[in-house]
Amino acid sequence: MTSRPIVTVQAAKEGEKSGASLALPSVFRAPIRPDILNFVHDQMRKNTRQPYAVHVKAGHQVSAESWGTGRAVARIPRVRGGGTSRSGQGAFGNMCRGGRMFAPTKTWRKWHRRINVQQRRFAVASAIAATGVTSLVMARGHRIEKISEVPLVVSDSVQDLKKTKEAVAFLKRVKAWPDIQKVYASQRFRAGRGKMRNRARIQKRGPLVIYAKDNGLCRAFRNIPGVTLICVSRLNLLKLAPGGHLGRFVIWSESAFRQLDQIYAKSKLPDNKMASTDLTGILRSDEVKAAVRPRQARQARAVLKKNPLKNVNVMAKLNPYALVLKRKAILAQRKALAKKRKADAPASSQKQQQKKQPAAKKAKQAAVKGKAVKK
Amino acid sequence: SDDLIWQIINNSFCSFMTKTKTSKFCRNEYNLTGLCNRHSCPLANSQYATVREEDGVIYLYMKVAERAHLPAKMWERVKLHRNYERAIGQIKEKLIYWNNWIRRRVIARFDRLLEVQKRSRRLVLTSETKLVPLSRKVERRERRREDKALVRAGLETAIEKEMLDRLRAANPEEFVNVDRAAYEKALQAVEVEDEEDDEESEEEEEDESESETEYVEDFDESEEEIEDIQEQQEEGEEEEPPVRQKLTLSSRGAAAIAPPRKRAKVTVEYDSD
Repeated sequence: MTSRPIVTVQAAKEGEKSGASLALPSVFRAPIRPDILNFVHDQMRKNTRQPYAVHVKAGHQVSAESWGTGRAVARIPRVRGGGTSRSGQGAFGNMCRGGRMFAPTKTWRKWHRRINVQQRRFAVASAIAATGVTSLVMARGHRIEKISEVPLVVSDSVQDLKKTKEAVAFLKRVKAWPDIQKVYASQRFRAGRGKMRNRARIQKRGPLVIYAKDNGLCRAFRNIPGVTLICVSRLNLLKLAPGGHLGRFVIWSESAFRQLDQIYAKSKLPDNKMASTDLTGILRSDEVKAAVRPRQARQARAVLKKNPLKNVNVMAKLNPYALVLKRKAILAQRKALAKKRKADAPASSQKQQQKKQPAAKKAKQAAVKGKAVKK
Repeated sequence: SDDLIWQIINNSFCSFMTKTKTSKFCRNEYNLTGLCNRHSCPLANSQYATVREEDGVIYLYMKVAERAHLPAKMWERVKLHRNYERAIGQIKEKLIYWNNWIRRRVIARFDRLLEVQKRSRRLVLTSETKLVPLSRKVERRERRREDKALVRAGLETAIEKEMLDRLRAANPEEFVNVDRAAYEKALQAVEVEDEEDDEESEEEEEDESESETEYVEDFDESEEEIEDIQEQQEEGEEEEPPVRQKLTLSSRGAAAIAPPRKRAKVTVEYDSD
């Protein structure tokens, strides 16, 4: 990609002229790979862990011995001695009350993970690229509807802000304040035991401010809830994609933005496996269509075989004359029946029978016809 | 990279997506169908259009790939004509070379919005009561806090104090510290008689024992009674005025009174929900 889109620098302070244009650094064209990012993020998060383990002696500070067989009790080791309710209770086993747990946790568990440098770089490049896609930032939950441009680059005077008031004014001017309001709205107490463990309050993440040089910026912004600040030279995946989710809302200072090209020189950037990720577009393109054979006519599907001897319609399909035969048979049958009734029945009911028959005949004929037509 | 965006949104996380047992919904306000689909996702389609209502006016919103990186200007808004035919004409004109599906869905949504408008206008005319959702957790918490606050406020003591202050203000010289204990005793004596005589009203009392309401006379009257008590105490063995049957603090007098009225106690009626 020789021609890269242009990003306009926004004014940080009032009265400043905005409008300097910078070319988009090539990082923003890096492949966005959520799978690699997720993996690297997982591994990285393990690196701040503090070990936890059960006490080495937990559950074993008893001299207990099994009573053996023949005492009508289970064979687990039991506490010796007497005079206390503890005596005779089961000990040592993971199933026992006051016993050692199954597989007691050890401090020498592997807490930290090493990640290959290339993978780490790939992940960070992906994360940065994702911050440049409006849809991903919105999907992640940031309120950026009013922002003038993504990625949001701001003039270097941000770095000189000293007061939180100024920082707030800046955020409001840049239309990033709704994201902070979202953070305020999300402030709540954690559910669960974390409350007792100094993790009582939780809130959402707000914008990430990336600067090149801190001239008071950190102090100005650090008290605003949700805002995170990092220096370009030390980009952190855990801050760029919190939770392993791509697309944090980032506010770049101009010099930080310029430095990206140096940090992510072409050689360091991962290659795209696909030049264009628009799969639907590719499949519809002329080149692909030309190489593909024409679509086949709809193939006939297998039909369930129905017995012609039972199913009138199938029989009619095979042998149309069958209908005629059938009709003849029905009519003949009726005639025979009528004759029989005439012979048996008294004379008074003869007329009634005659009236009924033609109507019934018509109905039957219609039914047979109808069936034949439907097929 | 619409496909890429859709892959990420669909498979990992989208803040607008809500799932139910049967379907996936999209809470993005620009969504055409309200469902979370490859076609309906306003984020995963660089060219997209919707119809939306703002303050009773229906607009056509359009989004193009060229403005995808400018969130503030991303949606082009066109106010639709109030005439139905013309509005449809507008839609068809604006979306002329667009995806068939989008065009059809936009028109369908436009029809639906009009229906909704009609219905909501009718509702405004007919419905008087507005349903307001209650948060059970919040309600329970607030109620508990109200009760606690009420207890803490100490209304009884405050009122008592206020009344005594007023009395003092009214009768600065004549006011003598009423012996509370003796007063209470006398009251109890009266109450005992009450219990003996008014067994009927006991049932009533029991019913109301929960809310602890007592029949309280008017404020003025009760004040007068208390004042009278004090006067009588000072004036000693004066004859009781024949009009009212009043309580005297001497035990002799207590027995003589019959049938006794229910005394005014300094209790306050609380409204029970």
